[in-house]
Amino acid sequence: MTPRTGIASQSIPVADHESAGGRRVLGVSGIEKRFHRGIWPRRRTIEVLKGASFEVRSGELVGLVGENGSGKSTLMQIVVGLLSSDSGAVERPDRLGYCPQLPMLWDKLTVDEHFELFARAYDLDDDASELAVGGLLGELQFERYRSYRVEELSGGTRQKLNLALALMHEPELLLLDEPYTGFDWETYMRFWEMSERRRDAGMGILIVSHLLAERERLDTMLELRGGRICTC
Amino acid sequence: MLSATAPTAASFAREHLRTPLTLVLLLAIPVFFVLIFASVLGEFADALGGTLAQRAATAISAGWAAAFLSGTLAFFQLSSSRGADRRLAMAGLGPTRVAVARIAAALALGVTVSAVAFLTLWLRSGIEHPLHAAVAIFAFAAIYIGIGALVGAVISAPLEGSLLIVLVFSVDAFSGPQMTNSGGILGFTPTRTAADLLIAAGGGQGSPGGDWLGVAAIALGALTIALAAFWLAARTRS
Repeated sequence: MTPRTGIASQSIPVADHESAGGRRVLGVSGIEKRFHRGIWPRRRTIEVLKGASFEVRSGELVGLVGENGSGKSTLMQIVVGLLSSDSGAVERPDRLGYCPQLPMLWDKLTVDEHFELFARAYDLDDDASELAVGGLLGELQFERYRSYRVEELSGGTRQKLNLALALMHEPELLLLDEPYTGFDWETYMRFWEMSERRRDAGMGILIVSHLLAERERLDTMLELRGGRICTC
Repeated sequence: MLSATAPTAASFAREHLRTPLTLVLLLAIPVFFVLIFASVLGEFADALGGTLAQRAATAISAGWAAAFLSGTLAFFQLSSSRGADRRLAMAGLGPTRVAVARIAAALALGVTVSAVAFLTLWLRSGIEHPLHAAVAIFAFAAIYIGIGALVGAVISAPLEGSLLIVLVFSVDAFSGPQMTNSGGILGFTPTRTAADLLIAAGGGQGSPGGDWLGVAAIALGALTIALAAFWLAARTRS
């Protein structure tokens, strides 16, 4: 991570969706995070986040951009609860979905076995799980890979599984970290349609990326600069 | 808790048994240890002025096979699945249930490798006290589950972690009972009592109750350390 200093705001046009402005599903305030790396005499402290604050509301599609090393994934991991912050607070619902940047999967287990593990974690019964999984396999078009092990899948199909695992319990808040890495154009467009459908159904969605080309689809665009969030 | 943990543990164990090389090593390592490593150990003890007889070296090698396999499997359980386990815990399973599932999988694998090592020993030289030997071999496995998981909690890189386990294993193996005329390179190693029990069982002798209690305490302590390591790996990082 490269530390930066100062705050700069940048105006980026976003779409004016009527659906934005529901109840708050994510509140992030004053998040600070430093990493200590190396051992003496090469011990370094890297200050990544310096008071990042923002919120996401139900029925809102929010984009968070920032340069490489700006701390986007660190912020996302703190929001999800995978990483603790040095200070600040996060208010999030119990039912949230998280799609990490690098698929966190078990190489030797099959697609179906992943769905079974996460269905238990989400406390879904067999019927609810099969209904959700069937729908997602159809939407993302990877039904034929159900019995494949993760190590046998292409990068794009792994990413589809990664995304499907975050969606199978229809979360109140969906957190996506570079979710379309490896997608072909057709899947990429389908991803945005899926996101918009869920946003319109009331889900709060935060998409983190170093590059967001589909800005007109977003309700709010945030930028992480110098460890802080600027609303653009 | 059990309804979610048991099938999760089964998935974790299945993941490791699906690696063809693991299955080959599961059979090859006990055979290698009991047939070849045992004579090396005996000659090494002889060179150091130890009194380890060939029959005892054969018996103890079955324990080392179970220890080596269980330790490396526990290490790779932790180091290769850290991210996915943490994601599963965050999704709702929680770090405690993930850790319990991991320790259950490690124990299942430990029982399997102990059974293979026991069978190899039985076929090679016969065992006077089979039950004693089986328990002592499993104690080796349990102790190394703790060591493997502890190394995995500290070191995530596969190469460095594997090397550290080999180092601990080498020091432990060559500091065992009857290896030197001064009682070993180190005064105490984790598997020393288990090795005493296994040597006695292989030679048809019983062991005092205090030794069995001692090895049970060490094995339980090692499994507690393993459980803590799996829990730490699945929880929120700082």
